[in-house]
Amino acid sequence: MSFLAPMFLIGAAAIALPIVFHLIRRTTRERMPFSSLMFLAPTPPRVTRQSRLENIFLLILRCLVLCLLALGFARPFFKKPQPTNRQSDNGKKIVLLLDTSASMRRGNLWPMARAKAEEILGNVTPSDQVAVFTFDRQARQLVGFEQWASMNPGERVSLTAQRIKEISPGWYATHLGTAIITAAETFDEKANQQQTFGPRQIVLISDLQEGSHLEELQGYEWPRGIELIIEPIKAKRTTNSGLQFVMDADESTQPNTEASARIRVLNSADAQREQFQIRWEGVSGTDPMDVYVPPGQGRIFQSPKLDPGVIGERLILTGDDEDFDNKVYLLQTKADNISVLYLGNEMENDPAQPLYYLRRAFQQTRRQVVQIIPRRVDAPFTAAEIQTAHFMIVTESLPEEQIKTVEQFLKDGKTVLFSMKESSAAQTIARLTGSQNFTAEEAPAARYAMLGEISFEHPLFMPFADPRFSDFTKIHFWKHRRINTDKIAGARILARFDSDSSTALVEIPVGKGALLVLSSGWHPADSQLALSSKFVPLLYAMLEQSGGLKSQRSQYWVGDEVTLNSTNSPATFSISKPDGSTLELAKGEKFGQTDLPGIYTVTSEEAPFRFAVNLDPAESKTAPMPIEELERFGVPLKKERLIETAKQREQKQEQLLAAELEKQQQLWRWLIVATLLILIAETWLAGSLTRRGAVAAAQA
Amino acid sequence: MSLPKLGAPTDARAKSSFTPPTPLPYGQTAGSLIDPQSLMAIKSLEMRAKVVVEGFWNGLHRSPYHGFSVEFTEYRQYSPGDDTRYLDWRLYARTDRYYIKKFEDETNLRCHLLVDNSRSMGYGSLSYTKAQYANTLAATLAYFLYLQGDAVGLLTFDEKIREYLPARNRTGHLRHVMLALEKPAVGTSTNLEAPLKRIVEIVKKRGSLVLITDLLAPIDTLEKHLIGLTACRHDVVLFHILDPAELAFKFEQALMFHDVESGRDLYINPADVRKDYLRKLEAHNTAAQAICLKLGIGYHRFATDRPLELALFDFLRERMQRGKKTKRTGTVKVRS
Repeated sequence: MSFLAPMFLIGAAAIALPIVFHLIRRTTRERMPFSSLMFLAPTPPRVTRQSRLENIFLLILRCLVLCLLALGFARPFFKKPQPTNRQSDNGKKIVLLLDTSASMRRGNLWPMARAKAEEILGNVTPSDQVAVFTFDRQARQLVGFEQWASMNPGERVSLTAQRIKEISPGWYATHLGTAIITAAETFDEKANQQQTFGPRQIVLISDLQEGSHLEELQGYEWPRGIELIIEPIKAKRTTNSGLQFVMDADESTQPNTEASARIRVLNSADAQREQFQIRWEGVSGTDPMDVYVPPGQGRIFQSPKLDPGVIGERLILTGDDEDFDNKVYLLQTKADNISVLYLGNEMENDPAQPLYYLRRAFQQTRRQVVQIIPRRVDAPFTAAEIQTAHFMIVTESLPEEQIKTVEQFLKDGKTVLFSMKESSAAQTIARLTGSQNFTAEEAPAARYAMLGEISFEHPLFMPFADPRFSDFTKIHFWKHRRINTDKIAGARILARFDSDSSTALVEIPVGKGALLVLSSGWHPADSQLALSSKFVPLLYAMLEQSGGLKSQRSQYWVGDEVTLNSTNSPATFSISKPDGSTLELAKGEKFGQTDLPGIYTVTSEEAPFRFAVNLDPAESKTAPMPIEELERFGVPLKKERLIETAKQREQKQEQLLAAELEKQQQLWRWLIVATLLILIAETWLAGSLTRRGAVAAAQA
Repeated sequence: MSLPKLGAPTDARAKSSFTPPTPLPYGQTAGSLIDPQSLMAIKSLEMRAKVVVEGFWNGLHRSPYHGFSVEFTEYRQYSPGDDTRYLDWRLYARTDRYYIKKFEDETNLRCHLLVDNSRSMGYGSLSYTKAQYANTLAATLAYFLYLQGDAVGLLTFDEKIREYLPARNRTGHLRHVMLALEKPAVGTSTNLEAPLKRIVEIVKKRGSLVLITDLLAPIDTLEKHLIGLTACRHDVVLFHILDPAELAFKFEQALMFHDVESGRDLYINPADVRKDYLRKLEAHNTAAQAICLKLGIGYHRFATDRPLELALFDFLRERMQRGKKTKRTGTVKVRS
């Protein structure tokens, strides 16, 4: 017989207690009041002679109870000759997750992580299977299970270590949740395949910085049987603060030149210092600015003032231990000048006319300055004006020359909005579309009409698709024209009036461009459109559709994808990275190689365009996060270290086997039952002895 | 006459029901005495005293103590300065001589009852405690003396004096005495020194003192204090009250014994210590008795299962003995 917990057998020594109690004369807790103890001397509790042990049978029962209890707690089991352990040949399956995020660039974290990885690999047995993943924004497989299996067992470790040596931390943020899920799913694929393996473990070598993203683990159901072992790497010097660019709202009208950029300074929670300096790099004559940020907090500062005309693009923070996150790249955005051509015989300051409202709809922002160029229908635009403009608005019937101009404008792939103030404008539209089928008539004067069917899937109305914004019933049209577009090829009706289902807004393709026909006007005589909240977004949507608006961001985080827009797009873009390398990108492709912080320059046929890529601000939060955070997401953590000798493992196997046998046999239950039976017998016997004693005493 | 050794701590006596060796009063048999158990069942202390005393009177009808009061002795010729109130005017009428009537004054007794109310008196193996027994005894004596027209005073004590009522024979005084006796005991230990000292200070006139106690205190200083009393020529009677269990120590089981006075606990196996206990108790009692003998103090040891009439009888006999023994010329005086 063997025992799972032999230490409990020591408990059997407790049988000495009943023996001693039986030897000691019973002392009672009962108190007898007496008038005075002046004539009495205390009697010491006497031990009876061993030969005079009373109630031997009771004593034996009590000793037996203690022995059986001790035996039960020791979890006895009978050893059985085991069939050769099939599982013992199956080693562990280990996924090594190596953090290569930007925060690992600190101090000697990376050499430490590499050494740790090599140490773990050194303890791997030939039966174990190992896969190595690196991770930052995403997990990348360095060595897969198949690769490991295909390697020569003698060289596996050295080859893998060599591959680890070749990599180094990048500049990306840490998405720890994604990495852990990827690693866990690697096992799953394998588990579905064939044979069962020994323990499955994920070994995470990381600095476990506070800024690691774990959100992905939310709602992820952790597969059973996979353990996560954490090998944290700790930095010796903990003070780290990072710089971060704070974007201003687009609506801000303040010119860039006047407003200095705002930056956030984040200090890590375990920092030892709180005084830092910020200065411009590459700009002479500016003084560093002292900033004070307590540990674990972030503060926003205005960047140091520059002399007029001087442009600074790199801000540097000094005073902390680590400099990987101490530089921020800033690009001062220049407002785009956008021209909108307007054809109509109207006074600019007449509030009864459309132009008056148009001027007020396009406000100047820090991203763009929309300039409206009005002309009477008989005054031509200059060639330069037509060249730079992307959007034209026409409100009147046009003479022949102007029609040609507009036609050309459309054919160049630009957009024209024709607002029909009168039904007579139909002829002009018919000319522009090249179809004589376009007719218009004044709609009978009803009370008012509203926009009924609206095609929200069209880019023009897409911003209003949300039910919160899709209410157009507050815009009343007092007058409109019934236009007939049925026979015009390619015409797409974007909105209809509810009163007579006539077309309100139609898009007619002309050449490369598009002609938008609004069968009413926005001036008060025709409708309430200009006064409604939909007017400005609708105009901007048209402007955007025309290609006049470039929604080009100039600030990105490392790893972000950059979409390059261009209307007069060339076949390719050429992008030069901060390290000097150049990439060619076809139109429509997204640029995803933002793997370095710095300023990227895009050159094409158009004017060169630049954007800045900075480090993810979360990487600056370098204080170690509590490991319990992972447990909170249901990840089972294994506390013990991975490193164990073969002998230890063998012992562990034996222990597991013993536990399994004991679980099958469950002898302790029978021992407890026997204990209970003996206890009942003991209680009965003791009770009867007491009663007998009491009767004898009474008789005496 | 040798004093009876009541409740002497011999095993044989303790085992048998207690039989007093004292001769019973005339007309009374042991069976006619009231069993203390039944007596103690009466709640009112005054009633208990009445029951005892009246039973005692009944038995005294033919007793030689009849007329135990004012008794005429002789005539004396008047001499100037004598109180004219005591002139026998009838004799003057007959003889034309002034004669003064002389009485033997034994009745105008001033008796102080000194009752021990310490915690040890609260012990009782019977249905009542020593204190209850002692209080009943005191009440009985008080009632008896009151009926006789004697002045009764009371002093209860434990480690200090609790109650003091000067000796009086007024209407209602007996009631005060009873109330004082009924007060619950609060004291812890016995200290004879304070009450004895105090009584010497208070009672200047010669009188009788009855000390009722269990004497469960060191006996070394007892003699010193009692001397004070006898020196003042008081007649002192000591009733030594003990519980039958204290006298016999017939406990069987080894138990934790709790001292009600000191609160001390002692684990005691009675079988082991009985012999030693009885020896020590005997020595203590003998010493107390010897001191009393030496000082001419009446010593009566009572087990609490002894009928109270016997105590009263002992008291009276003691007084009679005293009266005969001592030629108390000084006690002959005119009734005031």
